[in-house]
Amino acid sequence: MNTTLDINRLSLLLRRFFIENKQRELTFWGIATVVFTLMHLAGPQEKSISVEMFLYISGFIFAARTFKIFNYTPGGMHYLLIPATHFEKLTTAILLSTFYYFVMILISYSLGTILGTTIGNFFFESNNPILFSLFSSHADIYSNSHSLLNKFMFFAEIQSVFMLGSIYFKGNAIGKTWLTITAVGIIIAIIQVSLMKILWNGMHFAETFNYQAGYLAGSSIKAKVFVYLLIPFFWTVSYFRLKEKQV
Amino acid sequence: MVNVQNVTFSYNRRTELLSNLSLKLEAGRIHGLLGKNGEGKSTLLKLISGLDFPKAGSIDTLGFNPIKRNPAMLQEIFFLPEELPQLTLSIENYEKVYAPFYPKFSSDQFNGYLKEFDIDNKKSMLNKLSHGQKKKVFIAFGLATNTKLLLMDEPTNGLDIPSKGQFRRMVASAIDENRCLIISTHQVHDLDSLIDSITVMEKHEIVFNQPIEEITKKLFFRVADRNDKDETVIYSEDTLRGLYQVCENKTGEESKLDIELLFNAILTEKNKIVKLF
Repeated sequence: MNTTLDINRLSLLLRRFFIENKQRELTFWGIATVVFTLMHLAGPQEKSISVEMFLYISGFIFAARTFKIFNYTPGGMHYLLIPATHFEKLTTAILLSTFYYFVMILISYSLGTILGTTIGNFFFESNNPILFSLFSSHADIYSNSHSLLNKFMFFAEIQSVFMLGSIYFKGNAIGKTWLTITAVGIIIAIIQVSLMKILWNGMHFAETFNYQAGYLAGSSIKAKVFVYLLIPFFWTVSYFRLKEKQV
Repeated sequence: MVNVQNVTFSYNRRTELLSNLSLKLEAGRIHGLLGKNGEGKSTLLKLISGLDFPKAGSIDTLGFNPIKRNPAMLQEIFFLPEELPQLTLSIENYEKVYAPFYPKFSSDQFNGYLKEFDIDNKKSMLNKLSHGQKKKVFIAFGLATNTKLLLMDEPTNGLDIPSKGQFRRMVASAIDENRCLIISTHQVHDLDSLIDSITVMEKHEIVFNQPIEEITKKLFFRVADRNDKDETVIYSEDTLRGLYQVCENKTGEESKLDIELLFNAILTEKNKIVKLF
């Protein structure tokens, strides 16, 4: 027996998710499509920021619920006793919270855009073109190219953090993960400012920030690699957390 | 089948729930795990199935270390907890989702058990069923998985009187020489004539672990007259029908085991009883 990754067991876990959450998923993606349709009724103005916000916010809520089953002890027992490896269970969670969710957003966004623009053109007697602004690149302070891949990587980063939060914290994973991110952010900022002060002896905060932005712009590949490496790091921590989980 | 060696467990650093506990459970038997509330019966079941990890000692479950939660082990274990998970699934979908994880699952058996429990509609949603009905579904599913190890925590809690009888019949027919069933309970009457090995936990330790045949060989259970003085009496309970007694079996005569009486006798006259085995 394969005790690491068995495709049959993995597909059973995925099937389990879709059968157990069929109603919820259909409702949510139905609502998402309606929201995107309404967004596009008015016209072809720039919508990608709103769509991205929807993607990130609804995405982290989804990711923070990945291991919600552990909030209730019998649920956690039931989940841990499903005959599949921890790796298969985590892979299922990653596939659903990161890849499936992103693809579903793209599908509902595309559907919403087509429906919204077509209905808008019909009722308001306009002739707006169907524009998928989410798929197009726009300027970015670090790389000047905010492509769909970049959006996906940023999304995957958020999802990995909140998925870890959902297995790390028992109850209110969203709030606790946000608090942790804020606390870690403040600590890193204090360390950075302190280091800058020590190294450049009293450099003004604004200058420090400008320096940092300039530095990142200059070495965007290094920064990106570092940020992207955090994704498998958070997945790995989640795996060990799941492995050592007791109920 | 299950070998627990010197296991210590605690949920926090101050109080030990299980202390240096050892236990060996064989296949082909229905083991009754008895004890007062809070003695660690459910915890022991969780440790055996790998849901909790021992602080010290080792556990062997079906030849596996349970803390690794190997799927080869998990597909041979079914755990019926006292409190059941909240699943928004119909019985039909529950079977569809979870049965493929258990290679020896029998759909015919599942349907048969459900029928015996008078559950006809497999389209019923689990979250809409009463606690007792839901428990019946999980019992039926657990038995139909045909796993080598079945762990049941207070399985008769929430079952009505006829269902308790049905439960006993089903369990008795489902167990063979390759399967082992551990039932943790404090409702000892429900297990009368079902279990064939008794394990008693007291003060977080196993104080008694014997098969029924050994118990009835060494102990004699009787109802005696109040004036009847007998030096073989180990423990006695005064009831309206007379004195219910546990005596040392010196004649080799067979008697019907009274689990509740034995349990009370072990708790009050532990040393006397343990000395006989």
